[in-house]
Amino acid sequence: CGFTPVYGPGGAGRALRDRVRVQEPDSPDEYLLVRTLEDRLGRGGATARYGLSFTLRTQTKGQSLTVTNETTRYSLVGKVDYTLTALETGQVVASGQVENFTGYSATGSTVETLAGERDAAKRLMTILADQIVTRLYATVDLPA
Amino acid sequence: QSPGTPAAETAQDQLPAMLVADQVFITPERQLVAEGNVEAFQGTTRLSARKITFDRASGKLEIEGPIRIDQDGRMTILAEAADLDQGLQNGLLKGARLVFDQQVQLASLQMVRVGGRYTQLYKTSVTSCHVCENGKPPLWQIRARSVTHDQLERQLYFEGAQLRVLDVPVFYFPALRLPDPTLDRASGFLKPSIRTTSQLGTGIKVPYFFRIGDSRDLTVTPYVSPHTKTMDLRYRQAFRHGGIEIKGAYTRDDLTDDDSRGYLFATGGFDLGNRYKLSFDLKTVADDAYLVDYGLPDYDRLRSEIELTRTTRDSAFRGALIHYDSLRDSEIEDEIPTRIADVSYEHRLFPTRLGGEFRLSLNSRAYERTSSANIVGRDVTRATADAEWRRHWITASGLRADWEMGFSADIFKISNDSTYGNHVTRSTPRAALSLRYPMTMTTGTGVTHFLEPVVQLGWSDVHGGTPPIDESRFVEFDQGNLLALSRFPSEDAREDGTALAIGVNWARFAPSGWQVSASAGQVFRSVADPDFSISSGLAGKDSDLLLAAQIKNASGIAFTARGLLNDSFSFSKVELRSDWSHRRTTLSGSYLWLGIDPQESRMAEVSEFWVDGSYKVNPSWTATANLRYDIASDNATYAGVGLIYRNECVTVDLSLNRRYTSSTSVEPSTNFGFTIALSGFAVESGTEKYRRSCGKS
Amino acid sequence: QDTRVAFGNSKADTSAPVEVTAASLDVNQSDGSAEFTGDVLVVQGDMRLTANRVFVVYDRGQSRIARLEATGDVVLVSGQDAAEAERADYSIDDGTIVMTGNVLLSQGASALSSDRMTIELATGTARMAGRVKTILNSDGDN
Repeated sequence: CGFTPVYGPGGAGRALRDRVRVQEPDSPDEYLLVRTLEDRLGRGGATARYGLSFTLRTQTKGQSLTVTNETTRYSLVGKVDYTLTALETGQVVASGQVENFTGYSATGSTVETLAGERDAAKRLMTILADQIVTRLYATVDLPA
Repeated sequence: QSPGTPAAETAQDQLPAMLVADQVFITPERQLVAEGNVEAFQGTTRLSARKITFDRASGKLEIEGPIRIDQDGRMTILAEAADLDQGLQNGLLKGARLVFDQQVQLASLQMVRVGGRYTQLYKTSVTSCHVCENGKPPLWQIRARSVTHDQLERQLYFEGAQLRVLDVPVFYFPALRLPDPTLDRASGFLKPSIRTTSQLGTGIKVPYFFRIGDSRDLTVTPYVSPHTKTMDLRYRQAFRHGGIEIKGAYTRDDLTDDDSRGYLFATGGFDLGNRYKLSFDLKTVADDAYLVDYGLPDYDRLRSEIELTRTTRDSAFRGALIHYDSLRDSEIEDEIPTRIADVSYEHRLFPTRLGGEFRLSLNSRAYERTSSANIVGRDVTRATADAEWRRHWITASGLRADWEMGFSADIFKISNDSTYGNHVTRSTPRAALSLRYPMTMTTGTGVTHFLEPVVQLGWSDVHGGTPPIDESRFVEFDQGNLLALSRFPSEDAREDGTALAIGVNWARFAPSGWQVSASAGQVFRSVADPDFSISSGLAGKDSDLLLAAQIKNASGIAFTARGLLNDSFSFSKVELRSDWSHRRTTLSGSYLWLGIDPQESRMAEVSEFWVDGSYKVNPSWTATANLRYDIASDNATYAGVGLIYRNECVTVDLSLNRRYTSSTSVEPSTNFGFTIALSGFAVESGTEKYRRSCGKS
Repeated sequence: QDTRVAFGNSKADTSAPVEVTAASLDVNQSDGSAEFTGDVLVVQGDMRLTANRVFVVYDRGQSRIARLEATGDVVLVSGQDAAEAERADYSIDDGTIVMTGNVLLSQGASALSSDRMTIELATGTARMAGRVKTILNSDGDN
């Protein structure tokens, strides 16, 4: 039906596998993002021919407020701008922006809200990393 | 020359100017007459004129205009005629105009430059507004008997200054000092603002900025109204590898019976080198309603935190000390954990022969309730060690198989709770195999479809005691943890038994930049887990169906939605979020729907939407509005409208906000704000310039 | 009566005798022109001109020099003013000296450079043109 496997012969997944060096993370959130990206794209150490650089921005927004002025729900909104460049030529092979959000409740106790916040960050980084990899596989045009 | 002038500067003044011209005519009296594209250069000063006559005996230059003198790029003098010395530093200019940053203009009949540093202007008009040729007065101007500009200190001293709006005198200053616009950090008044709230009445805030050297400053803002006298302080200090900011206020008002109130927020961050980063964020407030009364950020819990992190490609360390001070009526302060210590470290290893990845992690969290009563005063210290090995293979046909197995050991030390032993230990082996088969298809028109079915068979077996679940009562289920082996947010609860997770991801990328993506997922369990609440969507043997979708284009439109569809085909949770910006309109909003769930102590549905938009009526006027509406209890919690008029020389900001929430310590209040800033002298924000048209308006 | 002039310290008298000395001289019988080469020195009144080569054109009757063309390291000195250029054309009939090619005029403390300079001996004026550059330091300096 016209679909070809990404990890199959000629697919972008196989072409990029272990060929991409992801930018070094600089914060706990970025560590989770890079960990998932490396899990999908491989480490790309000495064999790397492409560099994936990114800018991560997250923002916590109060989502719902009760009539007694208590915030009961937060959304963690994340945006990542990424660029995939060929290392020797420096030519940009793919770039884009992905965004998404995860929610957590704040009606529980302080430690429940804290656990929710940390877990929301972990889930958001997984979602953003998956979106980047999906976009890469679908839109990258690798030089011959 | 004041003694303070750096020596280099004085030497440079002595250097004579260099002259370039198309033609130089030497008169019998040995005067040099230069004509045609005449330019003279001296240090950072550049003068261009139509004709310059240089009398070598006296060293004077007689210059015929139009003259333009550029001083290090940010100050420009335009004049019709001038007599200057050979260093272009001293002399008299006629019909002169002094312009800063191509915006603020000082126009005067006569300008005298003295000592290469001072410029005196007589009968001056100062404005940053566009002056129309049709003789209409600019929107605002400061007329002054004389203005002296000190080029070194970059200050403007006005004498007999009158602030005129549309040529109507509005304010009179016998003497006024303003920093010249090229000075980025100068002590002085910042833009005043008027604030009217139902509780405090109409008050005025007049901030004054003290510059303390290059790396420190203090802003003092008195705020006076019929009901309050407040002194607001903000102190900032920049270090080589970090910075701190302390904000606070001391208030005496008649809203409460205690005689003084206030708040203190201190934040800061330091780069300690070797990738260690230290940050702190401390908050304290005198009483629960202060933040709301004075329009400060609307925290309902004050969280103070000191955090140290170190992140590299293969390791992440995070340590934090957190203190909570709850402002919520519904919470009894000493029965909620207010002191929390948290540390986590993960390391990733990549064995070459074995392949795959080892993830070793240690984390520990201790939380304490100030009450030491039994059960309600429970304190817990928890530590977890976790080791995991994961590896993936890809078959020739493009199927990707991920194998993952791991083991975790938890130990809990519980005090002030007789229902639990002093220690609880647990050990949990786990393993999972996930299969993915991502595919793409590109149609003739360049549209690419992406389709990825995913299936995971996971198993985990919890051995040992059962600790109190203090952290993991609220569980979320989305694409981020569809394939997680334990979907509880923290280690105090773990999933047990075998679970089959299936999912499908689809996306469509059009060359026009439009992208649509959708995901679905569900988890089937061998044994239902009682610790999952209904609205988590993971209760029972079959989880709710997770549905998620996103529509996005390259030019600012993004709509993201996620929901959990339960087996009676109704949603137990819906979250929508959208941003939409299109030429003159920006609109962002969100919607939330949560079902009733006693386990999450939610006795009524939560159904609320929030919308925030702005519309640029015309280049100068922008209207903004925002509304937060609680559909379940059918009334608004926040509403606000705003109007901003901005042109090249003034920014007027009007805002009206109404908060409807009320509690024992907080009453509903309406808040009206008005600020006016004369741009050129106010802090520049935003990049575009809007020019008021010279027409009839 | 002190007649101030732009170049040199008095009006040059174009009718004064012109004395030319050089290492060698070639005379062209047909048009009566002569070419002096090798450290040529031309003196007229208190004006002195030196150059590598000076081509002299006499007027019809061979009695008087009509025009001088000096080329190569031309230096013209008069009083305390001096001018250098690659070429100088002194037309005695018109009373003008036109110097071209990296002209450098130094008068007292100040110096001017340009592509061309025309000195009108009759009116005592000098005009420089073409990328004129100068340092505006007055005579009264230091």
